[in-house]
Amino acid sequence: MQGDQVLDCKGLSCPMPIMKLAIAMKKLETGKVIELLGTDPGSKDDVPAWCDRTGNSLLEVVEEDDGFTFFIRKE
Amino acid sequence: MAESGLKKKGILAELFSTFFSKSWPMWVGGILLAVGNISLFIVLKPWGASGGIKNWGDSLYNSIGMDLSTMGPLLKFPYSVLCIMTLVGALAGALLSKQFGLRFPPPGELLKGFLGGIIMAIGAMVGVSCTIGGFLSGWPALSMGAVVYALGLTLGTWIAVKYLLFEIEKMPKLSSGKTSSFLTAGKGRGGWQPILGVLVIIGGLIIAFNYTGSSSVLAWYTAIGIFFGLVCQRSRFCIVRALREPFMSGDSKPAVAVMVSILATMFGFVVIKFMGLRPAMMWVWPHFWVPAIIGGTIFGIGMTISGGCVVGSLWRAGEGHVKLIAALIGFALSAPLVVKYISKPFLEGLPENLKQQVFLPDHIGYGASVGVFVLLILLWYVFVKWNERTGKFSAF
Repeated sequence: MQGDQVLDCKGLSCPMPIMKLAIAMKKLETGKVIELLGTDPGSKDDVPAWCDRTGNSLLEVVEEDDGFTFFIRKE
Repeated sequence: MAESGLKKKGILAELFSTFFSKSWPMWVGGILLAVGNISLFIVLKPWGASGGIKNWGDSLYNSIGMDLSTMGPLLKFPYSVLCIMTLVGALAGALLSKQFGLRFPPPGELLKGFLGGIIMAIGAMVGVSCTIGGFLSGWPALSMGAVVYALGLTLGTWIAVKYLLFEIEKMPKLSSGKTSSFLTAGKGRGGWQPILGVLVIIGGLIIAFNYTGSSSVLAWYTAIGIFFGLVCQRSRFCIVRALREPFMSGDSKPAVAVMVSILATMFGFVVIKFMGLRPAMMWVWPHFWVPAIIGGTIFGIGMTISGGCVVGSLWRAGEGHVKLIAALIGFALSAPLVVKYISKPFLEGLPENLKQQVFLPDHIGYGASVGVFVLLILLWYVFVKWNERTGKFSAF
């Protein structure tokens, strides 16, 4: 899977990944997909919860060697 | 993800995965922290964090020949031991759940951690407490100064959320750049982490046991410190989130977790104080109201910029976030100097009526005081829930 925009949040800790995601999503067209790379274990809970609350779709979570990649579609 | 349901695990493996495969709900962490906090009060005094880290700095400065400390040697002062063990407990929690990893953020983030730590030190020393002593333990101690301190924290958090939003929009370079991580457990890697985690817990318990010969207080502070770290890491208990999310995502869960913790802690603290088991004025700091509002606001700004209060930094440092390690270093290095050059002169120069110790039961009795605090928590609950629905104060 490939996103339309890559958001590199590696090395960042709470709240930076979610803040960056929210701001990037605001600027994104509906239907496009953000690929968020993160290494904070907290993101594994925070990103799905944020998608739930905002009504965006978490398409896939891929576990990487040092963290996760989240694919989120703007709805 | 769902394989556990298909493949039958052993009973002990299932027990292990109950605790170490998914995060615990934060409110469960809140209740467990309350149990630890009440136990700590029975052993000696309630939970506090800023004094312990300040003592780390004092000890360092004393070891290079400067004379700043009054709280005693690093491994003899209960609160510096408690802080060290909180970090160790979080390290164990992260290892057991394969979440440990040394994570180096971009340089700008490292700087934000360090500066956030210094700002927190100023807030804690001027305000005579931090999010623990002045809030999570301060409200259950029925201190009115803690109510003012919490207002300050909220104001500071609000200011710093505005700053962070501005920073991400206008200065994106600060939070991007070269990053690296080491020792992480990815897919199929890091089987060593849980084994080391068990060893860390055993090591911690041996340290606690060793203290029993000289000081049972230090033995308990060691054990409860490990417990605090483990619980915080597994539940990702975070007071910054509790105060920040209403201004950010609107999520009310972290705030509710802190409310649950305060209520549960209050139950124990009120019994202990009412029955005279410990002095009633304990954790009622002389900061009502000027030091509390100024210190709380400054601390709120610092903790939001670094991404963790003192305890939040401790457990995230244990998990391997170098930004929060930088925050602890910033706090420890600056706190002794802040006391000497800023907070001591400031607090000494302040008129007595602006830095009072206000123990609410002295004025309206225990029953009404508990009622006032329950009402405050109810108001806070209504606010965060209403805000979650309407998004009135949330940025996104």
